[in-house]
Amino acid sequence: MTKYELKKIFSRTGGRAALVLLFVLVGITCLFAANLSWIDENGEPKTGPAAIALLREERKAWAGELNEERLRAVIAENRRIRETPEARSENVREENIAFGWQQGIQEIRDLLNCSYAEGFRSHDYYRADSLTEEDAASFYENRVRLLKEWLADEAKDQFSEREKAYLIRQYETIPTPFSYDYVTGWRQLFEYAPTVVMLTMLVLGYLTAGIFSCEFAWKSDAVFFASIYGRDKAVLAKLKAGFLMVSFVYFAAFLLYTAVVLAYLGADGWNLAVQVDWGSWKCFYHITVWQKYLLILLGGYLGCLFLAFLSMLVSARTRSAVPAVMVPVLLIFLPSFLSNIDSLVVSRIISLLPDQLLQIGKALDYFQLYLIGTKVLGAVPILLTVYTVLTAVLPPVIYREYRRKEIS
Amino acid sequence: MELKLMGLTKEFKDVTAVEDVSCRLTAGVYGLLGVNGAGKTTLMRMLCTLLKPTRGRITWNGKDILEMDRAYRKLLGYLPQDFGYYPDFSVYDYLMYIASIKGLRPAAAKQRAELLLNQVGMEKAKRKKMKALSGGMKRRVGIAQAMLGDPKILILDEPTAGLDPNERIRFRNLISELSEKRLVLLSTHIVSDIEYIANEILLMDGGKIRASGTSEELLFSMPDRVWSVPVSKDSVGAYMKKYKVSNVKTIPGGARLRILSSDPPSGHAVPETATLEDLFLDYFGERTDGQNDEI
Repeated sequence: MTKYELKKIFSRTGGRAALVLLFVLVGITCLFAANLSWIDENGEPKTGPAAIALLREERKAWAGELNEERLRAVIAENRRIRETPEARSENVREENIAFGWQQGIQEIRDLLNCSYAEGFRSHDYYRADSLTEEDAASFYENRVRLLKEWLADEAKDQFSEREKAYLIRQYETIPTPFSYDYVTGWRQLFEYAPTVVMLTMLVLGYLTAGIFSCEFAWKSDAVFFASIYGRDKAVLAKLKAGFLMVSFVYFAAFLLYTAVVLAYLGADGWNLAVQVDWGSWKCFYHITVWQKYLLILLGGYLGCLFLAFLSMLVSARTRSAVPAVMVPVLLIFLPSFLSNIDSLVVSRIISLLPDQLLQIGKALDYFQLYLIGTKVLGAVPILLTVYTVLTAVLPPVIYREYRRKEIS
Repeated sequence: MELKLMGLTKEFKDVTAVEDVSCRLTAGVYGLLGVNGAGKTTLMRMLCTLLKPTRGRITWNGKDILEMDRAYRKLLGYLPQDFGYYPDFSVYDYLMYIASIKGLRPAAAKQRAELLLNQVGMEKAKRKKMKALSGGMKRRVGIAQAMLGDPKILILDEPTAGLDPNERIRFRNLISELSEKRLVLLSTHIVSDIEYIANEILLMDGGKIRASGTSEELLFSMPDRVWSVPVSKDSVGAYMKKYKVSNVKTIPGGARLRILSSDPPSGHAVPETATLEDLFLDYFGERTDGQNDEI
């Protein structure tokens, strides 16, 4: 039965075309994610596997514990480069040559900009250029200091005392010094992961929307419900087909994306703290790059599964694929509009909407906290718990809804 | 083998589609005759557990069919009026899928599908997509799917609607062949469909069974008699207004009308033997919505 349910979806030209479109779009996203260049000694950008290998080699030369000694070396190297005539030149080509020398330390330099920023939320790309080796000692202290200053001033009304204490504790207890390695492959992977997950969800929304409503659209409902298994096993087969399709398509798309990007850019740095990627410098979760990847992979899967089941429920209830397709689209895009509302309550609600699961890598960097009893939790564990429960609840609801249908 | 309908009523908001229908059906072919909107489809959908009665109940061998649930549907084969299908499935795949939801194991399903395809004359078209079939071919696939589980109860809702005369005859013969040792309930507004194959006819109108019996019994109990009346061309209109006229045949100098009336319409009227068409007109004459065209 399940095989035929899948056949119903993919025997339609629209179903097959949607799948092909998804994999074409994933391919294009891979191109964007892998679009990195390495600047050669003449200041010319080079692309391709050889260029990536050189970039990797230069960055790996700085791999190791990010202790004071290494930071001093990076600051010194950065200053040395900045003081060269090429770096001071206003000629673009000369500047490019100087940038080429900087490629090896670029990722650590970005971390310096974060750590020595003026304020917790400010960013100055040239901040690292004004540092001296003596500054290296306060690299990790700065992270905690800037947070404390921000919580005491700008964000003083944004969090309760318990939440503030939680954030500070998270910052203070993270094991330091961090280790550094070439982590560019993962950063690029994380950058475009939400695009891949959302594209997959939109296609899955389209594919799943018809699973239950197709019987009504094709007027095959009467034969279906009058059959022996029409009100039990055949309904379960539809659910199973939906689950299998979401699982297969999602993992195929995401793992393909992962494989292409990491095969091209490299998977080094998988066991580093996520804070080593400057985009996650402020992240208060104590997780590694590999764990962040798993969260993105599984969070995206959970989000897709939840939205697909929701779409199936709407499809079963309304007997139409149109509102069923609209539901995931609305839930994905509506929060973007709501986020313009300047309200703490709205912002906390938005952070728990299912679209966050599709971009959980970004949610990991947001400062959204919730007080559950006496325990302070970030949005991510709540999202994972709540939507696991809701996703588990939806199939029995769909089953009950559909099997009771009357055909007038 | 007894399907019993007891005080069956189905209401939709303020419309009563089926009202207090009671009857007992056993093995044989039953023709449910009535105009569109008579409640035939609603009655059949209740028999197929697709609709729950507002009042009353249906039992199979004394057990409530809704309580029997799967066990009842195992006995059932149904061809709906609006027979829907999966357009991109091949005929064979379609039958195999229906077989799976009817609980047939793959090997048995394969065997049964092949047999039925052969029986309905579709074996050569089994790889064709459903959407590529003609109306008649689709109906034949429809009857094949209804027969897949070798049902004890076969419910066919307007199975010949939209078919050309040749297909209709072919279809009738097919139903006749398949009706052995089963209860077949065939709904139609086409008299000739049931004239030849139904053992018993149920006349349905306004949600109620108005009369039932064999064609002979029904014709015998007809309220009006049938008369053949030669009339002048000018008076045809007046007769049409005054009487139920089942046929107008032009003859030199006028027309010969077939009139249903309890008394002779004129001194020249000659009594005729009533047919099911006359019976249909007698019961539903004023509300056929042009369906007489198909009689």
